[in-house]
Amino acid sequence: MVAPQRVACVWCPDWPVVASGISAGVPGAVLYANRVIASSAAARSIGVTRGLRRREAQSRCPDLVIAERDLAREVRTFEEVAAAVQGFTPRLELTHAGTVTFPTRGPSRYFGGDDALGAKIHDAVTNVLDDRTTCHIGIADGIFAARLATRHRHEAVYVIGPDASPEFLEPLSITTLGLPELVDVLWRLGISTLGAFAALEAADVLGRFGHIGLQAHRQASGFDERRADVSDPPEDMEVSIEFEPPVERIDQAAFAARQVAVALNERLERRGSACSRVTVEAESEHGEHFIRSWRHDGALSVGAITDRVRWQLDGWLQASPQIRPTGGLSRLALRPDDLIAAGGRQLGFWGGETEADQRAGRAVARIEGLLGVNGVRLAEVRGGREPMDQIELLPAGSIDLADRRVAQPDERPWPGRLPAPSPAELFSQTAIELVDAQHRMIEVNGRGEVSGTPTYIRRPGKTWRRVESWAGPWLLDERWWDPERARRRARFQVVDEHGQALLVYLEKSSWWLAGVY
Amino acid sequence: MVNSSKQHLADLAHVAPLVLAKEQLIAVPPPFQDLLPAVGIQRGWATSVVGSPAGRVFAWALLSELTRSGGWIATVDVSGINLTAANEVGLSIERVLVVSGTDAQNWAPTMGALVGAVDVIVYGAPRHRIQPSTFRKLMSRCRERGTVLMQLPNRRHATKSGLPVEADVSFDVCPVGWSGLGDGHGRLASRAINVTASGRRIPGQPRKGTFMVPDACGMVRPISAPTTPTVPISAPLTSTERDPGLSIVR
Repeated sequence: MVAPQRVACVWCPDWPVVASGISAGVPGAVLYANRVIASSAAARSIGVTRGLRRREAQSRCPDLVIAERDLAREVRTFEEVAAAVQGFTPRLELTHAGTVTFPTRGPSRYFGGDDALGAKIHDAVTNVLDDRTTCHIGIADGIFAARLATRHRHEAVYVIGPDASPEFLEPLSITTLGLPELVDVLWRLGISTLGAFAALEAADVLGRFGHIGLQAHRQASGFDERRADVSDPPEDMEVSIEFEPPVERIDQAAFAARQVAVALNERLERRGSACSRVTVEAESEHGEHFIRSWRHDGALSVGAITDRVRWQLDGWLQASPQIRPTGGLSRLALRPDDLIAAGGRQLGFWGGETEADQRAGRAVARIEGLLGVNGVRLAEVRGGREPMDQIELLPAGSIDLADRRVAQPDERPWPGRLPAPSPAELFSQTAIELVDAQHRMIEVNGRGEVSGTPTYIRRPGKTWRRVESWAGPWLLDERWWDPERARRRARFQVVDEHGQALLVYLEKSSWWLAGVY
Repeated sequence: MVNSSKQHLADLAHVAPLVLAKEQLIAVPPPFQDLLPAVGIQRGWATSVVGSPAGRVFAWALLSELTRSGGWIATVDVSGINLTAANEVGLSIERVLVVSGTDAQNWAPTMGALVGAVDVIVYGAPRHRIQPSTFRKLMSRCRERGTVLMQLPNRRHATKSGLPVEADVSFDVCPVGWSGLGDGHGRLASRAINVTASGRRIPGQPRKGTFMVPDACGMVRPISAPTTPTVPISAPLTSTERDPGLSIVR
């Protein structure tokens, strides 16, 4: 087994909330797909926790400030924290905004040990944060242990001595592994701590849980965090692009970023590999460098790499004047660091997310930007007696396409609903006239008796048409207890001389068109 | 030298994915297959359905196979849309994006955002004029990304065919009649429609067919197999095919 690297992890809690600009004392929450993904300390104390729906969160805390998630903004604002840490070490690695890790071997020696380094970084970051949130630092053998050390309750800087990681991990709960399916099985097997899991034979774990299990086992035992199948790139896999003339604007750079990401992906694909960590190096025309490594738990796709390059450039070009480049961008290079075998992503077989769903999701976001939240909607099946009640259209942005359970039309009867087929086109507030042979308006009395035989019908702006056949009335009297939503109507189906079938109803002594079949 | 030959080998080994003609087709339900020369709608076509509202139900039935196999469709400004009716003829409504509220400025960007993201864009004839050049640009993007355009007539423009350029395939839907409804009794049960497919992608004479959309069991089925006009079409409903006990309304 390779001895794990000593790693420091700097963690700023609730970063999505901080990035959205919600001030510290105010209860605030950040939502993605209608669910809370982060909440401020003030909101948490009232009971707004992760995973709540918007409504639930608002009912627990009516004056909750709500923001939508914006990944680019999170990374851009986190850049100042990253810059503060960069004063101590050049080799930063980001997984997501709010957490930055780096190996401590060099900087620790220079600044006089892990404790001294931790304290110095803590001061620097706290200075930058300006009371918006707190900063926690954990230093340990391996990223997993370092990350858990930042969660220590009492100490802002928590250093776990060399080779002490297994002891530190031993009493911690198995749920810290963050793999719900694996944790669920282990929990039911009676394994509730990392120590108990680590005590199992590695070969048995591999046999029962495969590679995912083995990796978790290595983490739990405090060994090297890297996946067992990770290899270093055997040759120079760097892909770069030179800008001539240098580009100034972020959108031009982002466009180039995609090209480079595609080129890198093609190269990796040719070897049958994918990368789980990529280093993005940008250079300005005056020779300034800006380097960041990005880690991903799985493999980075073209889209994921492009996003990360864009966030990084965004952060650099909009940073404080000391860090910001003085000239345009002249070179952009991507270097894959950790290669893994490209297993491909398993897309949903029975439902679940497919590529088509992802594409649709991206289109939803773009159209929302053009037409507003109500511009693009998705259907949800509801019960109801009238055609317009049976399906409700909800803003698509509030629905997570990846995790969506669609209610199937209920097969159970709805008393009072007209049987299929339903009208092809619905109308609202469209008055019509329906009369008998003597041109007297058809009326229906309280007992459901029709005053005559419907003979002629006229739609607004059209001529009179003869009624060929008709049926009705189907009486509807619903929600009589609620004066606002009460409905009392008599519905008819009518086919006119042109073969056009209509659904019409009589309500409050006038005739209305509900739909056309 | 070694390096260059290695590179050459690597290039050889990297074969671009092959796309079969079959995969470029959007499958349609078996009853409608004979309307189209390649038993499906080819990706990238611009199509139109004429004849409201029977045409709408026909369009939903035509696209049902696609949505059931995981494809997405989007509707743009289709007035008074009733997805219950779409559901009844087999469309999976969970994969339908309903877009509404476009105007002259953002119609083209909205359509552009949907190209490549969904398999079929069903749009109501726009209420404003669209420049033929804008439309041609949209069509060429569709051909590139494999998205099908399908125009439905809108309420106020029921008579006008709004495509500024000729459609690849145009489906003309004529209602034949309803059955099930009597004089004060019964209920609407089934409808027969005549469909004529024509356009520059239909070689020779237009193809015709008569279908029940839906029939008395709520299914979509053909009445007479689509034929070319060399064989005269018989009366749309023969007595043996007629549901017993139901009168045909004409």
